[in-house]
Amino acid sequence: MRIESRDQFTALHEAARKARAEHRQQILVCCGTGCLASGAKEVAEAFAEQVADRGLDAEVGLFVKSTGCHGFCERGPLVVIQPSGVLYTRVKAKSVAEIIDTTVIGGEVITRLLYKNPVDGERIEDYSEIPFYKNQVRVAMRNIGRIDPTDIEDAIAEGAYSGLARALFELTPDEVLEEVRVSGQRGRGGAGFNTARKWASCKAAPGDRRFVLCNGDEGDPGAFKDRSIMEGDPHSVLEGMIIGAYAVGANEGYIYVRDEYPLAVVNLTIAIAEARKRGLLGDDIMGSGFNFDIKISRGGGAFICGESSALMRSLEGKVGEPRAKYVHSTEKGLYDLPTVLNNVETWAGIGAIIERGGQWFASMGTEKSKGTKAFSLVGKVKNTGLIELPMGTTLRQIIYDIGGGVANDRPFKAVQTGGPSGGCVPEELLDLPVDYEKLTEAGSMMGSGGMIVMDDRTCMVDVARYFLAFLTEESCGKCTPCREGLKQMLHIYDRLIGGDGREGDIEAIERLARGMQLGSLCELGKSAPNPVLSTLRYFRAEYEAHIHDRACPAGICRELTAYEIIEEGCDGCHACFKACPVDAIEGVIKELHVIHQDACISCGACFDVCPTEAIRTLPKSRLEKAEVV
Amino acid sequence: MNMIYKVSVERCIACGKCELACAFAHGSEGRPSKTRINIHRRGPELGTPIVCFQCDDAACVAVCPTEALVRNADTGAVDMARSRCISCRMCVAACPFGNMLWDDTYDCVQKCDLCGGDPRCVPFCPTGAIAWVPADLAAKPPEPLDREALEIGGGA
Amino acid sequence: MTTLTVNGRRVTVPDDATILDATRAAGVDVPTLCHFDGLEPWGGCRLCVVDMSQEGWDEDWFKMVTACNHPVAEGMRVVTHSERVLATRQVVIDLLLARCPETPLIQRIAAEHGIEKTSYEPNPEPTDCILCGLCTRVCDHIGVSAIASVNRGWGREIAPPFHGEPPDCIGCLACAEICPTDYIEFTDGHVTRTIWNREFEMLRDPVTGQAVITTAQAEYFAERSGVPKAYFETSDSSKRLAMAKTFAALAVKE
Repeated sequence: MRIESRDQFTALHEAARKARAEHRQQILVCCGTGCLASGAKEVAEAFAEQVADRGLDAEVGLFVKSTGCHGFCERGPLVVIQPSGVLYTRVKAKSVAEIIDTTVIGGEVITRLLYKNPVDGERIEDYSEIPFYKNQVRVAMRNIGRIDPTDIEDAIAEGAYSGLARALFELTPDEVLEEVRVSGQRGRGGAGFNTARKWASCKAAPGDRRFVLCNGDEGDPGAFKDRSIMEGDPHSVLEGMIIGAYAVGANEGYIYVRDEYPLAVVNLTIAIAEARKRGLLGDDIMGSGFNFDIKISRGGGAFICGESSALMRSLEGKVGEPRAKYVHSTEKGLYDLPTVLNNVETWAGIGAIIERGGQWFASMGTEKSKGTKAFSLVGKVKNTGLIELPMGTTLRQIIYDIGGGVANDRPFKAVQTGGPSGGCVPEELLDLPVDYEKLTEAGSMMGSGGMIVMDDRTCMVDVARYFLAFLTEESCGKCTPCREGLKQMLHIYDRLIGGDGREGDIEAIERLARGMQLGSLCELGKSAPNPVLSTLRYFRAEYEAHIHDRACPAGICRELTAYEIIEEGCDGCHACFKACPVDAIEGVIKELHVIHQDACISCGACFDVCPTEAIRTLPKSRLEKAEVV
Repeated sequence: MNMIYKVSVERCIACGKCELACAFAHGSEGRPSKTRINIHRRGPELGTPIVCFQCDDAACVAVCPTEALVRNADTGAVDMARSRCISCRMCVAACPFGNMLWDDTYDCVQKCDLCGGDPRCVPFCPTGAIAWVPADLAAKPPEPLDREALEIGGGA
Repeated sequence: MTTLTVNGRRVTVPDDATILDATRAAGVDVPTLCHFDGLEPWGGCRLCVVDMSQEGWDEDWFKMVTACNHPVAEGMRVVTHSERVLATRQVVIDLLLARCPETPLIQRIAAEHGIEKTSYEPNPEPTDCILCGLCTRVCDHIGVSAIASVNRGWGREIAPPFHGEPPDCIGCLACAEICPTDYIEFTDGHVTRTIWNREFEMLRDPVTGQAVITTAQAEYFAERSGVPKAYFETSDSSKRLAMAKTFAALAVKE
């Protein structure tokens, strides 16, 4: 069982590959959290049951596997049949029998289950032809969706720990460091600090005991790339950490996982136990003489604990508060000992970098941002999900080519990148190649790779307010500018969206923003003004409309917006009547409907369902002058 | 440490000038009850000066949680770093000789620090009962005080 | 020793000094709120921010840091009153004034920075607590840790566990004495002392009835410092009397 030499590892790898090659067909059922929520477990069980009942595993050489997140979360539950590569979307347990008969045995596709390209309406069979997948280059997520994350042999068959074998038996720790340096990899958690530089700084710090840590806190609202990696390919994280520990001379590691990721904790725990059994963790790894082990630490529900110094305090059992930043954690980190902390995606890429070489990684990406990056593409976009692309791909390519464009074909307004520390990028910058420097220049940042697409039905003042509200709740409260500043900034924004904006508010926001950027202790406070400043930079007119005209140009802020039905467009279809949650619409089928303004709560439900676009928004202030029906 | 604060009890005439000098030297109000040297009056013109011994192994230093009491290498005194004092009064309770004083008007602790090397009380003592002498002379027995020769209504 | 400049003036300080030590050595006044000489610096109030540039950096490249905890370095340049430093301090004190509009200390510091009234929304429930953490830090330093800051963000407050009577408190009053705004209430007498809603028995002199510390303090510190508990049990005046008697007995006789 235990791998005690490189030869034994290689033999296991070969044997595992061979065993899998013997399956003539594989059914891969995505069991990432998103698909599980849509019923993937029932689908996987139905497949397993039916294949077993009919003895198909022997007969057709069939193998059913539950995998991690395929990324195309909007279309789940997803099922891929290999080697044909057919992808079925929105699969229900009741369709399983049909899939087995028609596709697996019969070799024919079921058209209605195929992915339909929203751009041209065509159905696509092969998943590698689907634009969402076709344009991806998966490095950190290389095995997610292909392996069963709870089966270490499956992972090894697909290449897991091959990088580790090379590191332990062909390279010295310094040579590993050099390989990572050549790759140019930068931290994937948000700050983008050069990985090799961080490792070198820890290595140079004096002392006998040091740590490597994995930041699995992933607190950005809407971000789920780290979750998918921890759930779908935990071995990539373990492998990366073992290699990193070998490079810097650490024997202990921790993975800090946010409390809200139970499946990630389960799969990581299984992976660690399996790795230990096989001698890939613990003493004398693969017979190399190197000792290293990993423990899991769970968060308690605090965004601030994703900040490196706060994370370390939390790991130590203390309150998760950051400390002065001039103390480098590579010298004095966990328990004041030299520590390397890297993000999940950063660690996940290391195994591939060592296996294929730093040059290979550096051959992708831009001059200063090498390699590939995972993005969670969400919001008002047709193909929402998780993707990995070379750095330098433009926003336009991501949103349109891969994302399929704005949902419902509404006009594009902005894309928010980088989570609560990031900013909004407007249409004129859509050809921006995505890399660390370019996004920062545009007033946003890469962050952990979240991309929220926004259409014209988005109020940018409201967007800024959303992030402020989030951060106000998450601030640890230690320093004045962040704790008090966020609260005061939120007060101003509540007045703006409530129609009580005042002359001088924009200047007050800018002054407070500068004070927070310069005065705050940690990046939470320092970057909190980013959504504020970037929306001010590109959408100042919206702010001015809120203040001077008491109007929300996007028609979103409820205090400022009224809805009315346009007589010429209404065909009396009654859809708005049914949608209205407060019965504010009056009308008889086939006749003109009307909105009662005194009852209307401006929720916009009617607007969203009207098939003839006969409902429009207008500032409430103008309504006061018009007649109220 | 070159100098030593020497107390010769038998020479003390309980005039109280040292107490006043101390009180005035440490604040403009000159509150006699807040002096760091205390004269115990045991009879007419008979006093025992009680003042901080600047102990080698001081209880006040041992008990202070913020290291606000520190040895001054030049004067030999145990100094009080007021900016480090947290007013917990432990030193007041700990001093076995009662030489740490709690000032409840200003909520702070008072102790003798030999005025940084130039004790203000010494020049005012008419009989030299308190003296600031070179260390090698400290052990010399005090001259007996000729009490008959003391003038009343005058003084040094 | 390390030499650096503060507002252009050369100053030399020990290697382990902070920028605040250097500004003090240079005679420059940098305001602080959460700083206390006897405790580790905390860097929470952000009032002491200064601009600093390390040796080898560009002429005009500065980083804003808190003076209280940032270490000095050879050739460092520190600017204590640049425009952006002042602007940041103003935002800090303006925010504190919004939180504590009725607190004299904050009103005074705000006035010193040209702010008479806060430009933000004043706290509907004004408090004197500026969340400088001095109370919890001194309590931790003593080793008691009876109180802590609870809740995150704007709901943060100083409290004993579960807002009840702190079981570990020894009634030493260090938290109340160190508080720059006198936020922590207590009553003090020779029989009992009350703080954090907990009543403490005072350790009274058997003759005079005077007390300065609680019995809990005596227990705690006797063990921690090795000073015999007996020392604590009489008042300073009684001890001086005892000393006087001893000396009288020791007086050199003719």
